[in-house]
Amino acid sequence: MLQEVFSFAPMPWASLSTALMKPSPRYCRCRSLIVAAEVAPAIEAHKVSFSVTNKQGKSVPILKNCSLHVPPGQLWMLLGPNGCGKSTLLKVLAGLLNPSDGTVNIKKPSSFVFQNPDHQVVMPTVEADVAFGLGKFNLTSDEVRSRVSEALEAVGMLHYSQRQIQTLSGGQKQRVAIAGALAEACKVLLLDELTTFLDEHDQIGVIKAVKNTVAASGEVAALWVTHRLEELNHADGALYMEDGRIMMHGDVWSVLSFIKAKQVQYRDHLHL
Amino acid sequence: MTSRLHHAIPLQSFPRRSPSSSPPPRTPLRLPQPFVPHRRRATTILLIPWRPPVTWMGRRRRRRSAPVSCTVAERDGEDGTGRGGTAKSAAEAAARWASLIPRGVGVAPERILRLISGATSSPIGQFIESPRTFLHSVDPRIKLVWLLVLVVLPARSHIYMRLGLVLYITLLSICILPYRIWTDQLGRVALLSGILFVMLGFGSDSVPSLVQLRTPPPSITGLSNVPSSLSGYSYIITKLGPLQLTRKGLSVASTSACLSFTIFQSASLCLTTTPPEQLASALRWFMVPLALVGVPVSEIILTLLLSLRFISLVFDEVRNTALGVIARRISWHQLTLMETLDVFFLYIRRIFKNIFNHAEQISKAMIARGFCGDSNMHKIYLFTDFSLGFVDFVSILCLLSLIGAAVLSEQLLV
Repeated sequence: MLQEVFSFAPMPWASLSTALMKPSPRYCRCRSLIVAAEVAPAIEAHKVSFSVTNKQGKSVPILKNCSLHVPPGQLWMLLGPNGCGKSTLLKVLAGLLNPSDGTVNIKKPSSFVFQNPDHQVVMPTVEADVAFGLGKFNLTSDEVRSRVSEALEAVGMLHYSQRQIQTLSGGQKQRVAIAGALAEACKVLLLDELTTFLDEHDQIGVIKAVKNTVAASGEVAALWVTHRLEELNHADGALYMEDGRIMMHGDVWSVLSFIKAKQVQYRDHLHL
Repeated sequence: MTSRLHHAIPLQSFPRRSPSSSPPPRTPLRLPQPFVPHRRRATTILLIPWRPPVTWMGRRRRRRSAPVSCTVAERDGEDGTGRGGTAKSAAEAAARWASLIPRGVGVAPERILRLISGATSSPIGQFIESPRTFLHSVDPRIKLVWLLVLVVLPARSHIYMRLGLVLYITLLSICILPYRIWTDQLGRVALLSGILFVMLGFGSDSVPSLVQLRTPPPSITGLSNVPSSLSGYSYIITKLGPLQLTRKGLSVASTSACLSFTIFQSASLCLTTTPPEQLASALRWFMVPLALVGVPVSEIILTLLLSLRFISLVFDEVRNTALGVIARRISWHQLTLMETLDVFFLYIRRIFKNIFNHAEQISKAMIARGFCGDSNMHKIYLFTDFSLGFVDFVSILCLLSLIGAAVLSEQLLV
């Protein structure tokens, strides 16, 4: 299990013995990874492949042998260029798409937040939408009200509970969508580019809300698709995808170094 | 050769590479390359100078260019001078053909699109939270009863009663809604009702009687004409050329126009002053007994809520797509009628495509949020507590008075 966690990490200190022998600021993060790797992962995918058939009847692979595992109580980020298959992988993990090959194990219940909040928010008002996901549980009205209020407070939208969805901005809609996921008190949060429509202030607020949810019980795991490298500072681990493959899987600093090395390589290529 | 080749990107900004110059370093990346027309084949826009015929477009004497998308095939060593006569005749033929293309739609399409984007920017059928009025605090169940009564009464009451209802709803809209909203809503509904009134008033009992006259005129039968009423009664109220407004036409027109006005405007008033959840709760309250006889109440309520959510998405889509077309700065002057229609069909197709895409995504989101397709298994929490207050009792009294007045008017007024 431990070897799998660091199997993609090319850094010399990425192996367990080296990491422990060389104490560094990264040590704490590595240790949390090691401890987390010992418990059963909340999100686990093993050699997952997914392909679609095009108009000519040919099979086009979207995901190729993707393996990952995210331990409970951690927030992991999934990065990669546009069209590399991040959202597809997330949908496969959520069960919205059936993988062509491989296995997926997710702790239930799980929540999925879409990139576009207009696709996520299904009810006309804020509180009704946050409560929509609770319809599958057998809860009393008071309990539902309490959960809705807590979730809205976590994303700073408690004062907007009676508001109509169409009167909200894109960022506010996104926060309502996140509140809907938080209200369900799920074991797994699958979040697809949440901060696309948010400004810096809202971005930090949403990250903290997710981070608090993950850290509060120690049982919730979150996988967050993003393009913003600064959000990696809040993550416990990261994955880097390219061309349908997971190229890098490990702690934040190794993935960040990998991405920065790629950036430098790209700049050199362009003679910038 | 009279024609000129105009490329989408000015050639001056991308000078051709001379054969002597060294080629750029090979790179696996596909960087933006200078635009170089293909030697053999280049799809360009051919702007042909044309002069519109004076016979039917006399006022247009300005020299114009007709955009014609065509494919030019060039041969090595051919510069066009060798076939001057052929090229000239071809250009003349093209100019003649271009002159036959109907034009002159002007900027009307852009105006229409701007009108669409402007009209859909105001809330239609959406709850307006502020300013909060007494209608906001009326119980939604009473509002639904009012709606039902306003649908039935115009069809079954006297013409004065119908006009009174129209006046009442107009005044209520002016008092309740903000200025921008009521002018917008009343303008649209009045236009629709007006068109209905004119068309039905003059069309229901004038044209058919002229073309399907069954009784022969008195001049043929030799009998004297039917004497006119001593009390001044006349079946024909007014004549407008070949069209005539009769009492039957007036009745049909006033019923239809008033019914349209009251249905649209009262529904609009109800939607603007009632949150969708309250409306759904009230409907569920009335429909719960029907569940005993197998009516899918939960599905109906969920469908209503989704529809109310979808209204705003549809208007957003219509507005955004219209703005997208306007932002492209299309030269409508240069488009033919068919090309203009083509743009509009593309616009409509895009709207439908986007709306269906929205519906698909929302259904996926519902599945992701635990909805399994059975409305009875997935509870919808609406957070509505019904309680009747003073305003509700006043509203019920007004409703009863209105029904009483309608019944009396039917009895007393002939």
